[in-house]
Amino acid sequence: MQTTYRKKQRRKVSPLPYLLLLPSMALFFLFNFYPFLKAVILSFSLTDKRGNFAKWVGLDNWVRVLEKESFWKVVEVTLEMAAINLAVTFLIALVFALLSVRKVRFSKWYQTMYALPMAIASSPAAAIFLFIYRQKNGLLNNLLGTSIGWTRQMPYALWAVCAMTIWMHVGVSFIFLLVGFRNVSQDLLESAWLDGAGPFARIRYLLIPLASPQLFFVFFLNIASSFRSFAQIRLLTGGGPANGTKTLIYYIYENAIINGRFETACVQAIFLFGLILLVTQIQMALEKRMVHYQ
Amino acid sequence: MSDTKKWGWRGAAGFLIRLALGIAFISPLIVGLCFSFQDEQTLGMYPLKLLVSNPTLENYGKVFTDIPILLYLANTGIVCVTAIFFQIILCSLAAYAFVFFEFPMKKILFSLVLTTTMIPGEVVVITNYTTIQNMDLINTYAGLVLPSLVSGASIFLMRQYFLTIPKDYREAATLDGCGNMGFFFHIVMPLSVPTLSSLVIYLFVQIYNQFFWPLLVTNTDRMRTIQIGISMLVTADVVDYGQILAGATVAILPSALIYIFGQDYIIRGMTAGGVKG
Repeated sequence: MQTTYRKKQRRKVSPLPYLLLLPSMALFFLFNFYPFLKAVILSFSLTDKRGNFAKWVGLDNWVRVLEKESFWKVVEVTLEMAAINLAVTFLIALVFALLSVRKVRFSKWYQTMYALPMAIASSPAAAIFLFIYRQKNGLLNNLLGTSIGWTRQMPYALWAVCAMTIWMHVGVSFIFLLVGFRNVSQDLLESAWLDGAGPFARIRYLLIPLASPQLFFVFFLNIASSFRSFAQIRLLTGGGPANGTKTLIYYIYENAIINGRFETACVQAIFLFGLILLVTQIQMALEKRMVHYQ
Repeated sequence: MSDTKKWGWRGAAGFLIRLALGIAFISPLIVGLCFSFQDEQTLGMYPLKLLVSNPTLENYGKVFTDIPILLYLANTGIVCVTAIFFQIILCSLAAYAFVFFEFPMKKILFSLVLTTTMIPGEVVVITNYTTIQNMDLINTYAGLVLPSLVSGASIFLMRQYFLTIPKDYREAATLDGCGNMGFFFHIVMPLSVPTLSSLVIYLFVQIYNQFFWPLLVTNTDRMRTIQIGISMLVTADVVDYGQILAGATVAILPSALIYIFGQDYIIRGMTAGGVKG
C-alpha cells in the first residue's frame, strides 16, 4: 500500500505545490526582487519627479554620489554609530544575560525589564527621549544642572541618538544571549563548580565558548540593526547638527522623499545593500573559523 | 546552617541588584509615564519633580480630544490584523508546499525565499514607495499592508516547525481519505498552534511598531497609524510635552502589554531556527 502511494506521488507532478507558493512568490517578486532590480536600474538612470525611469545616464549618478565629500561623511557617521551601538549594546546585553542565566523565583521580573524596550516603538520612545534631552528644562539638564542642547550640539547629538538606539536594541541581543547561555547544560556548570571553577572561570571557559554561535550572531545582528535605524534620527536630530548624525538610511530618505532625487537615493540604497552584504560575507567567513557548535 | 543563611542573604542582595538594574534600564518608560500626569506649566518649572502633588489627567483628555488618536489606533489595528492574517495563511501554505511536496524547481524556489531575507526592507523602501505611488495606493490600507503580507523569515519559521511533523501522519491521513488541503487545515494547522501563536505575537510587535513605511505612504490624518500620529506631535511647530508624553504612553501600552504577557511566545518565535547550535 505504502509503495503504491509513494509511486503515485513520484509519477505525476501535481500543480498544487505551485499554487500554494504562488501568492507568496508573487508578493516577493512585487515587493522584494522587482524593487531591488528597479533600484539598481534607477541608480544608472535619470528619474522623473515620481521616481520613475526617464533615461539612461550610465555611471553619472554613481560618480556624482561617490565624488561628494558629504557622502563619505555620511558613510563615516553610519560606521561610527554602528561601532558605538554595537560595542555598547553587546556589552550591556552580555552583562544582563550573564546576570539572568540562573532561573530563580521572580527572575522573570528583571528578565522582562531587560528586554522590554525592544517592544517599544521608536516614535513614542523618541518622544520620551526628547523630553529627557530637551534643552529648556529637560530631565537630563535638570539632573546635571546644565543647559546643553543634547540633540542640537555635537558631539552630544551623536551620543543622544546612539543612547536611544542602544536602549531599544539591547533586548533582542539579551534574549539571544540568554537563550544561548541557558542551553549550556546545568550539569556541566555544576561539575565545573565542584571542580573549583569560580564564576569568572565558568563564564570564560564554559558559557562564552559554548554560547559562541549566539554571541557571534548577536555581534553581527547589531551592526545590521544599527545601519537600519531610522526613526530616532528623523525624530531626535533630523540628521543634524551640521549633518553630524546623518546616516545612510536617513540620507536615502532625505534625497528621495524630501528632495525628490530618486536616482541619488537609489545609488545610496544599493551602496547600503553592498555594505550590509559585505558584513554578512565577513560574518559567514568568520563563522566557519571561530564558532564552536555543540 | 550559617552557609545557607549566608547564601540566602547574598541571593536576596543579588536579586535586588538585578531588579534595580532592570528598573534603571526601563526608567525612560517610568519617566514618560510619571510626567504624562503633569500639566504644561508644571513641566516648565525648574526643577522637574518626578511625582507632584497635583497629578492631572488633562493631557490624556487633550490626547483623545485634540488629535484623532482613536482613529490612529484603529488604523494600526486594521493594518496589524490584515498583515498578520495574510502572513499566517500565505507563509504556512508556502511552508506546507516546501515540506510536504516534492516538485521540480523546489530547491530554486526555496533559495529565492531565503534570498528575500538577504534584501533588507530599507534598501527597497524607496522603490517600493514608487510602486505604491504608481498603483495609486498612497493613503490606502492596501498601500500600508501590501509589503508586509508575506515574509521569508515567517516561511522559514513555519517550515522549521512543519519539518518536525512526522511524515506518517500524512500517510495515515491520506488512507483515511483526507486530501492535501484537508490535511493542511485539519492536521497541520491545529498542530502548529504554538508556533503560530509565537509568530502572531512577534509579528504584532513588529508591525505595530512600524515607522518608516507608514511615514512614506500616508500623508493624511485619516490614514495615519499611531506611530506616525505620535511623531507628528513631536515634530509639530508648537510642542506640548504633557500631551506628547500622554500620547506616547497610549502608543506604548498595547505592544508593551503584549510583550509582557506574551514574552515566552516572542522569545520562541525569535530564536526558533534563527541561530544554529
